[in-house]
Amino acid sequence: MDKKISRHEWKSNLLPALVMAGPVTLVLVFLVAVPLVYVGVMSFCSIDEYYNVVFKFSTENYVRLLNADYLKIYGQSLAMAFITTVLCILVGYPFSYLIARTKSKRKTLLYMLVIIPFWTNSLIRIYGWRTFLGTNGWLNGLLQFLHLTGEPVDFLFRQGTTVLGMVYCLIPFMILPLYTAIEKLDGSLLEASADLGARPFATFFQVILPLTSSGIFSGSIMVFIPCLGYFFVADILGGGNSDVIGNLIERQFQSGNNWPLGAALSIILIVMTLVLVKLYQKVGGDMDNLGV
Amino acid sequence: MKRLLKNKKLTKTVSVMLAVVMAVGLFAGCGKKSGGSSSETLNIFVWTEYVPDSAFEKFEEETGIHCNVSTYSSNEDMLAKVKSESEGTYDIVLPSDYMVEQLIAQDMLMELDSSKLTNLGNINEAYLNPSYDPGNKYSVPYQGGVAAIAVNTAKVDKEITSYDDLFDPALKNSIVALDDYRAVIGMTARSMGYSMNETDSAKLKEIEEKLLTLKDNIKLYDSDSPKSALISGDCTVGFVWSAEIAMSMAENKDIEVVYPKEGPYVFMDNWNILKGCKNYDAAMKFINFMLDSETAQMVSEEFPYLCPNEAAVKAMGEEYSGNPAKNPPEDVIAAGEYVSNLDTDTLAVYDEMWTKLKK
Repeated sequence: MDKKISRHEWKSNLLPALVMAGPVTLVLVFLVAVPLVYVGVMSFCSIDEYYNVVFKFSTENYVRLLNADYLKIYGQSLAMAFITTVLCILVGYPFSYLIARTKSKRKTLLYMLVIIPFWTNSLIRIYGWRTFLGTNGWLNGLLQFLHLTGEPVDFLFRQGTTVLGMVYCLIPFMILPLYTAIEKLDGSLLEASADLGARPFATFFQVILPLTSSGIFSGSIMVFIPCLGYFFVADILGGGNSDVIGNLIERQFQSGNNWPLGAALSIILIVMTLVLVKLYQKVGGDMDNLGV
Repeated sequence: MKRLLKNKKLTKTVSVMLAVVMAVGLFAGCGKKSGGSSSETLNIFVWTEYVPDSAFEKFEEETGIHCNVSTYSSNEDMLAKVKSESEGTYDIVLPSDYMVEQLIAQDMLMELDSSKLTNLGNINEAYLNPSYDPGNKYSVPYQGGVAAIAVNTAKVDKEITSYDDLFDPALKNSIVALDDYRAVIGMTARSMGYSMNETDSAKLKEIEEKLLTLKDNIKLYDSDSPKSALISGDCTVGFVWSAEIAMSMAENKDIEVVYPKEGPYVFMDNWNILKGCKNYDAAMKFINFMLDSETAQMVSEEFPYLCPNEAAVKAMGEEYSGNPAKNPPEDVIAAGEYVSNLDTDTLAVYDEMWTKLKK
């Protein structure tokens, strides 16, 4: 009996551990760590006249990326991401509240309204907006039919349109965490607040909002970060006039064919993301809420 | 819905049916591929929206050689992919002029056996023996074109005759331009009487200054399908490929083509065989097939670029020759300029200009 147990112990240390953690470790090492290191190393390389990557250490790529033109695009990208996030909160919060507080069958319906468009490829939906907003699009047709405008309005290819597209694409990422946070809200706290004389306005700002702030934080981070990289929205709706960091990266990997420069840009984007996530933890965000 | 789903039998039947459909789809997919590998196969790597499927189908029918087609959307993209794959992944590529020169310089191409190119006589001599491949040792021309100007005459009052006119403030927020830095910067250079391949830093500075005045005029950058914005009227002026103008003219009668008096950006795309090609004879057969006048007509019907195939041009008659957008006049081509390879430092300057324009 003793023998059996000791053998069992010996086995339980190594083999099960390997079987359980091995595949995950392999996946993480080969699909996350190795590519990241590869991108990091490449960002310090340069290219020769035939666009071949040359492994010779230089910090030139980073120096190039710190000039004023690039900084302006980072700034523009951050500003657009910020506005998108704020709009997502303003639109998403009331809607999430509505879903969470609806008791009837309509709750599923409301929830589905958010989820179902999410199943369609976002590229197709963004092209849909382009058709809808075009000079001969439905919106202009309607406006002219109602005699609200004489000439067609130029909706397309502006920064505002890009922000609209981003809000449209990313709002589910705001609504879902908000919904979870609001759903958890204990109704008796609201009653208590009212019993103690707080008006609805005060209840909202002093009870509801602080209790659901975790949803706002995780929603914000999940909207803000993709915004920096959604190059196709900036391409299709912004027409190339409102580039985000993602466009810069895409250009260097495709037409520019300067992979080291593109790698350096990716590293900058990764650093920005890490800073944002750190900031999120600082303000008290829970990493579990990000689904990572 | 809920009641339906509760019925387990039904759910089961539906899922089994779905699984069968998926499995059939899977095997159908396999069948196609394995069918090809039993006979001869060619791996062909071409531009998107440039070679019609019907041409590949006809070749397969005639020769029994299966074509495995993949596509790219820029020369640089093609180069990167060819280099990152093992030799023999692609047999045939279709790069533009300056890229042919690069491939030759990097010793990536196989010489073409001229005795097998029986249809080469169809090609207009003006397009043979190009500067990027003297004597057509490695390449034969497929189609080409120019970056011309499209004008929606119903919405634009200004008369446009040159690249320089595109910089007129009257065209504020109305142009769709190619999303291609060599094209847009080259166009700016030509509007000032400079070369598209300028390397002199003082001149590049001047070009940059002028380029930035174009920013307010450009509404959209689009290389993939600039015709859509022209047809819909979202953009009233275009700096785009001539064939895109030809296609938009067919849909919107108000659109006209203008060839800039400075002489346009000209390009020619060419068939090449890559080193490591597994089936040289089949590849030569394919290239010769593409030089055939009937094939060239098929191609031109779907993608009306400049057709260097004289026999096909004759056969198509007015339909091609009479259409100024499909068939750029010879003096326009003669006055034009090809893009050529530049050193990395100069390209970095071009890239910075482009970033400034787009910021």
